[in-house]
Amino acid sequence: MAKCVQSVQEFVQDSFVPMVAVLCSEEAETVTRKNNLNFAELLRPFCRLTSEGHIRDPNNQVQAVKNLRICVNNVVTSPNTTSAALNPAQRQLLNEVVLSCQPQEGAVTNVITAGDYHLKFSASTPWFEVYRESFLQSMPASDHEFLNHYLACLLVVSSTEAVPVEQFLKLSQEQHRIQHSGEYTSPKWFIPNTLKYYVLLHDMNEGDEQRADAVYEDMKQRYGPQGCYLLKMNSRTLSVGDDEQIPDPWSQYLHKSSLQNQVSTIASFTCNLNFFGRDPMQISFSRDPDRSVGETGSRGACLTLNDHDHIRQFIQEFTFRGLLPHIEKNIRQLNDQLVSRKGLSRSLFTATKKWFGGGKGPERSISEPKSTSGLLYPPEAPELQIRKMADLCFLIQHYELAYSCYHTAKKDFLSDQAMLYAAGALEMAAVSAFLQAGAPRPYPAHYMDTAIQTYRDVCKNMVLAERCALFSSEILKSQGKYSEAATLLIKLTSEDSDLRSALLLEQTAHCFINMRNPMVRKFAFYMILAGHRFGKAGQKRHALRCYCQAMQVYKERGWSLAEDHINFTVGRQSFTLHQPENAVTAFRQIFTHDSRQPATQQGAFLREYLYVYKNVIKGNEVGLSQLPLPCILSSATRVYFGRERRLAEGEKQAATHVSLDQEYDQDLAAMWYHLEEQLVAASNRGIVPGNFQPTQCCLNSQTDNLHHPLAVVEEPIIVEVTFRNPLKVSLALSNLSLLWNFSGDGASSTKEKMTEELSQKAITNEETLARLKLLPHRTGQLNIVGVVYNLSAASLAEMTPSTDGNAHYLTVVRGKQDLKIQGPRLNQTKEDKMLVRHGPDRRLEPIITPPMPLMEVFFLQFPTALLCGEIRKAYVEFCNVSGVALCGLRVASTHPEFFTFGSQATTPVTPLSPTSAENCSAYKTLATPPHLGSVASEMLVSAEDFSQPSSVMEIPIDGSTLQPGESTQLPLWLRGPDQEGVHEINFLFYYESTEKGIKISHRVLRHTVFICASRSLSVQASACHSSVLPQDGLDDKGSSGTLVFIDVENINTNEVGVREFHIVQVSSSSQNWRLNKFINPAKDKDCKLTSRERAKLCFRATRCKPRQATSDAVEKYTFADLNLGNEQIISSTTPCGDFFFRCRQRVDVASSSCKSQSSVSTEDIASDITNIVKKCNELDLNIIVIWKAYVVEDNKQLILEGQLHVALQTIGKDASSLTPKEEAPEMVLLKFKSELPPPVVLPSVELSQLIKTNLHYPENYTHPFGQSSLCVVPVTLTLSNCSLVHVDVLIDLRHKSTSPESLEVHSSFTWVGQTQYKLELKPQEVLCLTLRACFLKAGVYNLNTPRVFARPAEQGAMCETSQQAATPALIIINNA
Amino acid sequence: MAVCIAVIAKQNYPLYIRSVPTQNELKFHYTVHTSLDVVEEKISAVGKSLGDQRELYLGLLYPTEDYKVYGYVTNSKVKFVIVVDSSNTSLRDNEIRSMFRKLHNSFTDVMCNPFHNPGDPIQSKTFDGIVSGMMVQTG
Repeated sequence: MAKCVQSVQEFVQDSFVPMVAVLCSEEAETVTRKNNLNFAELLRPFCRLTSEGHIRDPNNQVQAVKNLRICVNNVVTSPNTTSAALNPAQRQLLNEVVLSCQPQEGAVTNVITAGDYHLKFSASTPWFEVYRESFLQSMPASDHEFLNHYLACLLVVSSTEAVPVEQFLKLSQEQHRIQHSGEYTSPKWFIPNTLKYYVLLHDMNEGDEQRADAVYEDMKQRYGPQGCYLLKMNSRTLSVGDDEQIPDPWSQYLHKSSLQNQVSTIASFTCNLNFFGRDPMQISFSRDPDRSVGETGSRGACLTLNDHDHIRQFIQEFTFRGLLPHIEKNIRQLNDQLVSRKGLSRSLFTATKKWFGGGKGPERSISEPKSTSGLLYPPEAPELQIRKMADLCFLIQHYELAYSCYHTAKKDFLSDQAMLYAAGALEMAAVSAFLQAGAPRPYPAHYMDTAIQTYRDVCKNMVLAERCALFSSEILKSQGKYSEAATLLIKLTSEDSDLRSALLLEQTAHCFINMRNPMVRKFAFYMILAGHRFGKAGQKRHALRCYCQAMQVYKERGWSLAEDHINFTVGRQSFTLHQPENAVTAFRQIFTHDSRQPATQQGAFLREYLYVYKNVIKGNEVGLSQLPLPCILSSATRVYFGRERRLAEGEKQAATHVSLDQEYDQDLAAMWYHLEEQLVAASNRGIVPGNFQPTQCCLNSQTDNLHHPLAVVEEPIIVEVTFRNPLKVSLALSNLSLLWNFSGDGASSTKEKMTEELSQKAITNEETLARLKLLPHRTGQLNIVGVVYNLSAASLAEMTPSTDGNAHYLTVVRGKQDLKIQGPRLNQTKEDKMLVRHGPDRRLEPIITPPMPLMEVFFLQFPTALLCGEIRKAYVEFCNVSGVALCGLRVASTHPEFFTFGSQATTPVTPLSPTSAENCSAYKTLATPPHLGSVASEMLVSAEDFSQPSSVMEIPIDGSTLQPGESTQLPLWLRGPDQEGVHEINFLFYYESTEKGIKISHRVLRHTVFICASRSLSVQASACHSSVLPQDGLDDKGSSGTLVFIDVENINTNEVGVREFHIVQVSSSSQNWRLNKFINPAKDKDCKLTSRERAKLCFRATRCKPRQATSDAVEKYTFADLNLGNEQIISSTTPCGDFFFRCRQRVDVASSSCKSQSSVSTEDIASDITNIVKKCNELDLNIIVIWKAYVVEDNKQLILEGQLHVALQTIGKDASSLTPKEEAPEMVLLKFKSELPPPVVLPSVELSQLIKTNLHYPENYTHPFGQSSLCVVPVTLTLSNCSLVHVDVLIDLRHKSTSPESLEVHSSFTWVGQTQYKLELKPQEVLCLTLRACFLKAGVYNLNTPRVFARPAEQGAMCETSQQAATPALIIINNA
Repeated sequence: MAVCIAVIAKQNYPLYIRSVPTQNELKFHYTVHTSLDVVEEKISAVGKSLGDQRELYLGLLYPTEDYKVYGYVTNSKVKFVIVVDSSNTSLRDNEIRSMFRKLHNSFTDVMCNPFHNPGDPIQSKTFDGIVSGMMVQTG
């Protein structure tokens, strides 16, 4: 229960005061009217006595009466019987009283802290006090108690009457008639002989004062000096100019009573009772608007302060001389009666009761059934005398006596089963027990409970029950028994009166919060209940207040369902109270968190919200307010700088670049970063500048947003906003636009502005993206702050047809939402880790820079699928679409070997247009007459013409700048990757502005292609020393030839498309070697391979001519072409040579990394030998196999071309075009101690190839054995030193093979002449020895028996190794 | 048996609330929320006298016109509230106790789930099933 202004004692005391009636003559009435008051009202402010009165109780003890108040009322008669409920007029009065009493704006609120709740609410509830007061005043007088019965009657007559005494007589008769005629029940009188007090009213301005005095003297004679009074007043004339300030003591009383009067006059009017026959005038007067609160100033205008004192004196005189003695007298009387009856009554009553079985006794009520209120006593029944006495004692504050009387009365009534009376006695007994000073007995709360229960359940009198409860709860509260008070109040809430229930529930809530352990949640709950009832009672303001107070408890504590409900109600009530802003705030709360309401409920909330919101923004057009829906996932916002790309134009295919449709990929971003770094390094002479920032076209939550992004003037900025709808109903957004402010470089014009973008968007309960575009026209600092949009419920939109006529039925509201992006959480310093700190995120704060060049790249005839090694020519177009010239065009790629722009040195100058070159070969060809086994044509090319330093390539455009609007087309050759599968190939084009010193140093353009490579041919090559000496007149005598075998297999699996492969040319490229001759045993014209076929080609390679002069300066490569068809492809020119070098580079890079590992283990002595040996076997011949594939596609035959590379490193080792699967590098064990070098193991196999031997002899030799038994055949042994060092050679002819099978053949011939030679061979020297073999008979002999040992000249003998045994050299000896 | 079963976190926000007449969910939310006052009162009263030897079952918190509200508090101050129809007089205190014990066990299982984030609303199907079982028996 809330705190009240009055103390409990005061409150109870003031609720029961002696009642005094007033009867006024007409003239007297006019006198008081001058002050705009009637007589009762006139007295009201002075009704509290300031001095102490004294009274003697029946035991002659003097009893002090302190602070007594009397209540003076006009007599209003009505025939109504008392009802158990309030009549409608009274209800309305109470309603209005409560309505008019609202909490002040700045009212004192106190804060209660309970647990983690901090509640703010006003501790006092004035509306409740007002209600209580009005309620108690409007209590109808009841028969079972006498407290509010009239004790006395003031008869007031003006001194201006002709015969005042007559008037007194008339009034006296009137009073008697009212009291005793039985006509009226309404004003009830305490005692039959009511005290009449005669008042002569004298107007000082009118009439004769002496006459008045004379009349007063007469009155004194007639009524005794204590029964009459002369009241002089109106000493002041009612003059307009006189504005002496006199305090207005009526204001606080009449303010309330004016309302009350209106109602009560209406009530009396409806009762249609005319008192004195002039009541209509009074009614009209009292209802006069002049009398309403607005004209308070005129009250008591004719009264001076002296007059106030007169009135005060009068009241005092009346009370002390008239009323109190009257009461004292009556108490004595009653006491005497009781005492005299006591002995008798006790015995008599009980006896009669016993004898008559209680059935008789005081007459059982006939009128009222027992069930309701028990029996009714007649007004003068002896049982009531004690109650009367108790009431009198109570009124004069003799509570002790009152209590004992009540107590006795209670017993009597209870024994009589007079329940209503008993309840009344109980109630008053409890009250007087409480009011007893010093409290000799505890407050009997159970008396009250019984009384309430009886009133309510037995008597069905809610009014009395309520009164009782009000007292009881107030008393309990004063004793700190809040929970009992609360239970009591809850019991009194019922369906019949919303207002009462509401007020009591609110008090209950206050009880809970005031408990020693505040029950916050109960407080909140009962506040809500109270709010609900207030709402039902039409007290919207109070309802709103209750809900708001309850909200404090529920807010943000996870009780979303309840929270939503409260918010919704608050919103509704606020709206009906014309506080739309509050309504909107409350409604917004509903949507700010994910609510658990069902969809229909949410739909209702949404509609209501939109409706209210619309009404709010109707009022103020100025600022758009924040909308809670839908949620913006601000961190998911993406920003894209730059124009949206045309994807394709005709058959041109644009570079993919970056778009918002792509997902962000960390690895890809790193890759692009790497490429860009390379490009920047390339343009800065190999150094990456320190302030290098990778270009970021699309910013999202994962990119680096610490810096302000740079945007270019006149290039759009696209912001992608992610909306999420937390509701279960869908929303429709339209007219989206961005909200931004801008500070220009020159003038600082900052204004929030909106821009573009449109479109309807229906958001169901998912995430939806919206892209908004912004086009900056000036340079400066841009700041995107929010989104503006129209919001409506989508479900409505679906229902109404989309015709314009119906469109306005939709509640569409416009509002904004801020876009604030929180940066990533910092985690660097200790503070960062301990607190939650976030870094900046400048995604939405771009700096607009001056114009930059903008390039677009298109690709023509760009394939998507290639055979491995296939060469295709495509075109690329560079287009400068900006107004600024660009230069420094470069490209970097992840697969630099995939494409080439051609080398400037060898490319034909004018690029052919794509259309004209459509069916031509990508290669540069030269028609040659077919000649089989032809000798290769050769070409010397420097590697530098082709090779690029890194994966960055400069793009050769004319003049190296691209003027605005200009575009240029370049041919581009592509070669299918060597490995089958899908390859992702990334290009990064780089360009910069021709102007220097701009914020953006360069720009880049990304392009990604996917190439599907399918298998074509597999080429395997091996080489071996040719055993035949070059003898056919070639001038390079010194160098021996090498045989190169090439196995080509068609491994294409796609049988449908590719029909056959033709090997059209085989070229070699090497620094030292060249293919010389095509050995074609099958004499095929060209080599044709259908599916899964295999072909073997054989070539002879020879060393190039030594070139001393040139080879020192530049590494020159000799390209040798051996065409198998009828046209020669010049392999040293652009596509072929380019790709050759590109592939080589990659191999080199790979092998060099291998070498660096392996070279660690090779060591001193052994390395010499191995080096020598290696040199000897080194070949380093690269073979390029150029093929044509006949492909059928869409019923058209196409010819595809391609080339495959094989690098032959050493003789005897196979090399393949298919790159072997990479083996994981072996783990090298850590060595802590340098170990002893491993014993040198001679690489015998390699060493056995130092010397090449050849036997030359006639294959058939006819010898007449008949003539000569010995046949001597000259055999030439040719020794050629393959190595580049001096070699000691030992030739032993006598060497005998140990193998048995050779033994038998062997024995049949012998070498004659010198059988052992020791020779020294110079590097690459060829030496011929003539041997002679001696045969004894005809037959077939193997001549290859000489053993050749060789060793490098400087090495020890141990190194001597037998050289390879050549194939058997058979000779046929015929007998002539 | 029960018409509403609620699990309330230590910080007094709901982890789980389910009621049988779904159309009147709000009422049960209010009821459960209000009961927390009584729970707190009971805890504080018990805590003083008995120290840590506390009976988890709090018994009848308060009766309303239509329902009886029972409470149970775990040692970690998680509250279970069961609302029972007043007309259902067959329910004994012991049965309510066993319901709470069952609920507690199931709740412990939920908490043991390594993927459950303590403090999040309970979304376990098993728990749901147990609760449904207690409510379904009303018939």
